[in-house]
Amino acid sequence: MVTPETTATANGAAMAEDVVLRVDNLKKYFPLLRGFMKRQVGIVRAVDDVSFSIRQGETVSLVGESGCGKTTTSRCIVRALEPTDGKILYRTDQGRVFDLAKMRQADIRPLRRDFQMVFQDPFSSLNPRMTIYEIVSEPLRVHNIGSRSEREDRVADLLRRVGLRPEYMQRFPHAFSGGQRQRIGIARALSVNPRMIVADEPVSALDVSVQAQVLNLMMDLQDELGLTYLFIAHDLSVVNQISNTVLVMYVGRVAEIGPPQALFKSPKHPYTAALLASLPKPDPLQRHARTIPEGEIANPANPPSGCYFHPRCPYVIEQCKQETPPLEEIVPGRYVSCHRAREIELVV
Amino acid sequence: MSTTARLDTSRSAGAVKGSEPLLQVKDLQTHFFTAEGVVEAVAGASFEVYPGKTLGIVGESGCGKSVAAKSILQIVDRPGRIIGGEILFTYQDTSGTYQQIDILSLPEDSVQMKAIRGGEISMIFQEPMSSFSPVHTVGNQIVEAMRLHTNLDKEAAERTAIEWLSHVGIPNPAERMSEYPYRLSGGQCQRAMIAMALSTNPRILIADEPSTALDVTTQAQILNLLQRLQAEHGMAMIFITHDLGVIAELADEVVVMYLGRIVEKAPVNELFSNPKHPYTRALLTSIPSIDAQPRERLPSITGSIPHPNARPPGCPFHPRCPDFMAGVCDQKEPKLANIGENHAASCFLYPGC
Repeated sequence: MVTPETTATANGAAMAEDVVLRVDNLKKYFPLLRGFMKRQVGIVRAVDDVSFSIRQGETVSLVGESGCGKTTTSRCIVRALEPTDGKILYRTDQGRVFDLAKMRQADIRPLRRDFQMVFQDPFSSLNPRMTIYEIVSEPLRVHNIGSRSEREDRVADLLRRVGLRPEYMQRFPHAFSGGQRQRIGIARALSVNPRMIVADEPVSALDVSVQAQVLNLMMDLQDELGLTYLFIAHDLSVVNQISNTVLVMYVGRVAEIGPPQALFKSPKHPYTAALLASLPKPDPLQRHARTIPEGEIANPANPPSGCYFHPRCPYVIEQCKQETPPLEEIVPGRYVSCHRAREIELVV
Repeated sequence: MSTTARLDTSRSAGAVKGSEPLLQVKDLQTHFFTAEGVVEAVAGASFEVYPGKTLGIVGESGCGKSVAAKSILQIVDRPGRIIGGEILFTYQDTSGTYQQIDILSLPEDSVQMKAIRGGEISMIFQEPMSSFSPVHTVGNQIVEAMRLHTNLDKEAAERTAIEWLSHVGIPNPAERMSEYPYRLSGGQCQRAMIAMALSTNPRILIADEPSTALDVTTQAQILNLLQRLQAEHGMAMIFITHDLGVIAELADEVVVMYLGRIVEKAPVNELFSNPKHPYTRALLTSIPSIDAQPRERLPSITGSIPHPNARPPGCPFHPRCPDFMAGVCDQKEPKLANIGENHAASCFLYPGC
């Protein structure tokens, strides 16, 4: 949650005791290159001033449509991408605070054990030439943990924990279904006892009947092991199931932050309302004429002026075209970046 | 082009009486003959499509929903082959009498089949970008389809194509005609695909997961567009999806498939309020909802969809079924039988199956 921080920390930043990760004004710009001379003709603001924090043992979800910057944000946090600006404060279990955004890759390496990733596509995220044992134990080998037999015991234990039989250890990924492969991916992430898991659309490639299993497994593991999740998804219903806090993003910026039920029952940002209205409801008796937003998602390389959502927004006023709305706390725990958040009544 | 591929039909709206099916698929069997063995992708599916109505086919991966649709147009990829069944298409000829033709009796490269494919029955796909040819302009491709299936000359076809592009909500349609598909966004490309499919004035539109690859707000726009076009032009639709939410939004009649078989068939309200097959019930309870309490565990179906090469004996759902009856479900396969008015299911829980 984005609450005022009180405790003074190692590098001078204030950060509440129970916050594991705090992202302050994160920016990631990509140069737009054209022609064979690779001339820079513009920039893409993939992530533009994103701030949030995650408490120990909780799930924060980033949700939005394609190009909203949710994946880029997560890749900056694990430093698979170099952030352009901003802070990524991480508190270790000894209570030391590091700014991951400023650290050199070599210095981050010891901290990498704490962060593990689970990916979207269980078919391309597992090496087809490695056995399940090799896949799940790879992080252990990278971090030089345990002997071969200790690793084997650990892998067997992990497979059991994610609901797979340890006898499968010597098989290759092709022998497993999508849901089973995603379990293998989760076992691999858990192998080094991480504190935090960054899961990028972990269930969107799965069939409905399997999706529920994997979501339930992730919630069970979180409760047992006290894991902290950064969850990236485009599906609001999945996000509702797993999150403590939801960030709705649009073209690189945060539209709204809040707890899922409050956010989905009474959205404060017109874009959140638009997403909710667009969601097909699995109840034929609730068919209704929906007011869905016109037009297309703004191009991050050439965004509109002011609020990026204004060309599609039914509540647009002159101010929206001129000024970028700041992210403000409207109700305790609800942060919205909309000039009219206090006056408009949004119905879902 | 001198020959146009057309059936001798009058394409007036309501060419078939509302109560008569436009298309009847009877016991369709499409198998894939792979090196590892025969995969029964569609193993005896029967359903009907009525004029102006939408049939929803829903199921998870490998259930055979796309193969069933492709079988209707005889465009199943090798090593797949339609090995049995009938697909009866009803149309009115120019003299006004009803004719019925078994699509499967036509060779796949015959003139009549070409007339049906894209003319009488059009199809749109999940990946609009890869369904268009990347080396021809959008306009050329729509005009080509129209020239093949209608009497229009080149100029008239171009005018109609522009009208269609504008009709499906593409801004600056005249300029878009000369664009290549990669220049359009995913949503725009799907709109252009729909324009192309409908420009030949088909009586059935097959939509194979047309909104799955799109963002939610774009998906909602495309679904609204299809509903509007159906109301205006009265074509029937076969809508294939894995998303029960989408089915609830636009289907009239629903077929639920699992591992190549139809497990349940009912009108949409009936299916959602009174699901009979354990698989349908399980699917409906395992959809995450924005109304649910956060952190609540969803009831989930145990196990995973079996590999098509390892189809379980008896009822294909029995290893995952909460109502499994030993000695019955694993011994023989239930038949799809009527268990209520307009409601059919294939499960031994119900007599007659």
